[in-house]
Amino acid sequence: MLKKLRENKALQGTFLALPTTLWLFVLLIIPLFLTLIISFGKRSPDGGVIYTFTLDNYIRLFGYETNCANGQSACFDPLYVQILWRSLTLAFNTTVIVISMAYPLAYFIARAHPQKRNTYLFMVLIPLWTNFVIRVYAWMMLLRKEGAINIILGTVANWLGIDFVPLEMLYTPGAVLVGMVYEFLPFMILPIYTSLEKIDNSLYEAAADLGANPIRAFLRVTLPLSMPGVVAGTILVFIPVMGTFIVSDILGGRQVILIGNLIQRQFLDARDATFGSAASLILMVMTLIVTYFYTRKFGFGEEIVAA
Amino acid sequence: MKSKSLFNLLAVLVMASMALAACGGGSSAAPQSGGEKVTSTGYACPAAEFPSEVTSKELNIFVWTEYIPVEMIECFELVYGVKVNRDEYSSNEEMYAKVSAGGTNYDLVQPTDYIIALMARQGLLQELDHAKLPSLKNFDSNYLNFEFDPGNKYTIPYQAGTDSIVVNTDAVKTVPQSWADLWNAEYAGRMVFLDDSRAVIGFTLLTLGYDVNTTDPAQLDAAKEKLKELVPNVKLFDSDSPKTALIAGDVDLGMTWTAEALLAQQENPAIQYIYPTEGAILWQDNWTMLNGAPHADAAYAWMNYTMQGNIFWMMLRDFPYTNPNAAALEYAKNNEKELYDTYMASPITNVPADAIANGHRIADVGDATPLYDDIWVQVKGGQ
Amino acid sequence: MNPFKRSPFVIIATTLVYIFLYAPIVGLILYSFNASRANVTFQGFITQTSDRVVMDGSLVVASPCGAFHWYCDLAKNRDVLEAAGNTLSIAFTATIISTIIGTMSAIALQRYDFKLKPFSQLALYIPIVIPEIVMGIGVLTLFSQFFGWLNNALALSGDARLSLGIFTVTVSHIAFMVPFVTLVVQARLQGFDKSYEEAAMDLGADEWTTFRRVTLPMLLPGVLSGALLAFTLSLDDFVITFFTNGPGSTTLPIYVYGLLRRIITPQVNALSTVWILIVFFAVMAIQILQSRDAKPRHA
Repeated sequence: MLKKLRENKALQGTFLALPTTLWLFVLLIIPLFLTLIISFGKRSPDGGVIYTFTLDNYIRLFGYETNCANGQSACFDPLYVQILWRSLTLAFNTTVIVISMAYPLAYFIARAHPQKRNTYLFMVLIPLWTNFVIRVYAWMMLLRKEGAINIILGTVANWLGIDFVPLEMLYTPGAVLVGMVYEFLPFMILPIYTSLEKIDNSLYEAAADLGANPIRAFLRVTLPLSMPGVVAGTILVFIPVMGTFIVSDILGGRQVILIGNLIQRQFLDARDATFGSAASLILMVMTLIVTYFYTRKFGFGEEIVAA
Repeated sequence: MKSKSLFNLLAVLVMASMALAACGGGSSAAPQSGGEKVTSTGYACPAAEFPSEVTSKELNIFVWTEYIPVEMIECFELVYGVKVNRDEYSSNEEMYAKVSAGGTNYDLVQPTDYIIALMARQGLLQELDHAKLPSLKNFDSNYLNFEFDPGNKYTIPYQAGTDSIVVNTDAVKTVPQSWADLWNAEYAGRMVFLDDSRAVIGFTLLTLGYDVNTTDPAQLDAAKEKLKELVPNVKLFDSDSPKTALIAGDVDLGMTWTAEALLAQQENPAIQYIYPTEGAILWQDNWTMLNGAPHADAAYAWMNYTMQGNIFWMMLRDFPYTNPNAAALEYAKNNEKELYDTYMASPITNVPADAIANGHRIADVGDATPLYDDIWVQVKGGQ
Repeated sequence: MNPFKRSPFVIIATTLVYIFLYAPIVGLILYSFNASRANVTFQGFITQTSDRVVMDGSLVVASPCGAFHWYCDLAKNRDVLEAAGNTLSIAFTATIISTIIGTMSAIALQRYDFKLKPFSQLALYIPIVIPEIVMGIGVLTLFSQFFGWLNNALALSGDARLSLGIFTVTVSHIAFMVPFVTLVVQARLQGFDKSYEEAAMDLGADEWTTFRRVTLPMLLPGVLSGALLAFTLSLDDFVITFFTNGPGSTTLPIYVYGLLRRIITPQVNALSTVWILIVFFAVMAIQILQSRDAKPRHA
């Protein structure tokens, strides 16, 4: 038996991949399959599932309504599409801001003295070691009307003799954006750093020899070579932002419903697992499509490494 | 080398975790032989008034976060020699999702009134044998035999309360007297509401003269339109700790529940709790036993022991809610006069009879549940 | 050496980002000394007179710990310690197992061709795109059905019954940790220089020895990075843990989230500060050790 294992490469491969595949199959694929089946079901009066086949949930998601306001027999209710769009916009904005903040930092670390790089990296990681929710809550303390930021601004204003009205920062969409950026910044810094670090110094020397100034060198050498890192980071940021509901709940005052909130509500408050399952699957499919095209265009690779 | 540093980091964390596991995983106060049973806080535990034979070694309870006094648990563990394992949840829906899926091993849970009928219909609850519950007589009959559980087949009361209007009278010129007043433009951007679809849609229905538990789509539609006008005026929705925003001055008024209002008032005496003319929302949390509870004998012992007057009075000290346990109030009147007086003097905890008579209770609406949730998503999601 | 000097723009931007990263942490630590139980606004640092401290301007509390009042409070809180212990033991067990099987599958996917391959690769993407609550409820349903069936089949009852607990939480954690380990190790394998392995085999080592003495050591940084990432994910998980845990297996995120939603005392801040300090000192210790035995590095 063992001999056969040693000789047959395909068998070796299967053996190595089997534990993981089995684990994921049982714990993820089976539940996912169940989710798929449930999404075609109907909600029973008490919140259970009636197993049947109907596309009602999907139709509802895409806006088809039968009890319309102005007596039409069918109309378009943009509610869920609006929610989806809002989530996409937030994810996009977060990603763009995160990239613009992460890149200089990653660049700095990559160009730092080799012995110091670890320290800088760990300094980025340390906030991650606190609890996710605590970090969000910490921003509440900073942003609220009598919070730290307003206190500081007020002291400075007094010092300068300017009139100061405390800023209303908390429970606004801006606060949600700040919170999201904060939570996911490290996940962009690390991949970009990894790809920047790999760039061979000789490339810079070559560029300099060929007469390029720093800006050109950056645009023609650094940026293209760091793209895999940016791509990896985008995936690590964009996807979770779409699904996170805690940040918008705590920092946004639960005023705004994003797709993560919608799905959570279906499973808990509405007790409508059928609709929730349909929404989850649509979200997953969209995420997969976006990921697929994005990586096709920009290359996917090695830089999904987090450290 | 990176690998070595990472390895060392892991090693340090292994040691830290073992230390913590050793500290925390240690068992509760060991049962003390004979004589006085004293908790870790120095409280002397009373003996059991209705002792019963308990062979189970453990009791699993699934409860609201921070809702049980430490001494209550420790005293029970000491007196009966049973280890209490506690898991917590922050909303009835979370609890229901977990319990209805099965596979859990809990004995007791603490559902709020509206979800009990649903749980009973789903066969999740065990009928209580009143013969085994002598402590039932400790309760004020006004809190028994409600519509959500006639004859108390499945539940015994725990704590009761209201959802009503809360105002910072220092910051607000015209104090609202009814739910309808909240639509006043003066309050725009200054309000905090509970993130509770039933409560908020509920009081909107009340302002239109409808029932809080209506399933009439036309009435619900009207409520939806009215609510759409109000939601933009709300600064935040918070079902976890609405008092925080009030105390911090982020908001000046809104709706909240008993305990939050009282705690806010303690921090800022200008904060008042108003029972609106249309009627406040009444609610009650209850103990109930799950079907298939593995430690039923311990569960009965728990219910009997913790509902003793000389134990349950602790709720007055630790959690500012309305206490349905007459024996506990009696004990407090005789032994903790100050606590008792504060409790009785405050209209927040000691709800006036007319407010109770005027109040409304949220009930399960069965098939119409997604309708309510849909309204909620629409009024919030269409921003 | 990079012939292009570091621009001041980069340095300023970096400093600002680090400030951004640490502002809430500093706030968190400061508020752990807040002389206010409600912890809504900062009411000054706790000061001590004899053995009493003043809270919220008027309430006087007996406390021997002075400014560290909340830390002493934390130490008395056995729930928190138990939750922390659970969290760490789950994270460790799950990390070890997921690292081992994750590394195995990374090697398989990167270097072998076998029929199961496309299926394995697809399976690995799912935990990354699936919403946590879907996975949580899905796994819960799975366990419930399975335990229900098994309990009946083996006629178990009472305490012997299989139910949710640390075991189910750990198993679920491994499921969402493995893909990350695999991706990280796979990435490391992609740029792998095979010449060392070929050299070893030329010198007579068989495949297993080569793997053990050459491949694995070179792979180790990637493996440990993956393990570290997985560990972090497990520490912070809330949704999936909530749905799969049972009595007595509360983890820190669940405990903290529940606590934050009801009572926000500075005790939570004290907990975070302690946590951060542990990690900080661990990192410092490692840095010192490293600089002590650092050999001249290759350029």
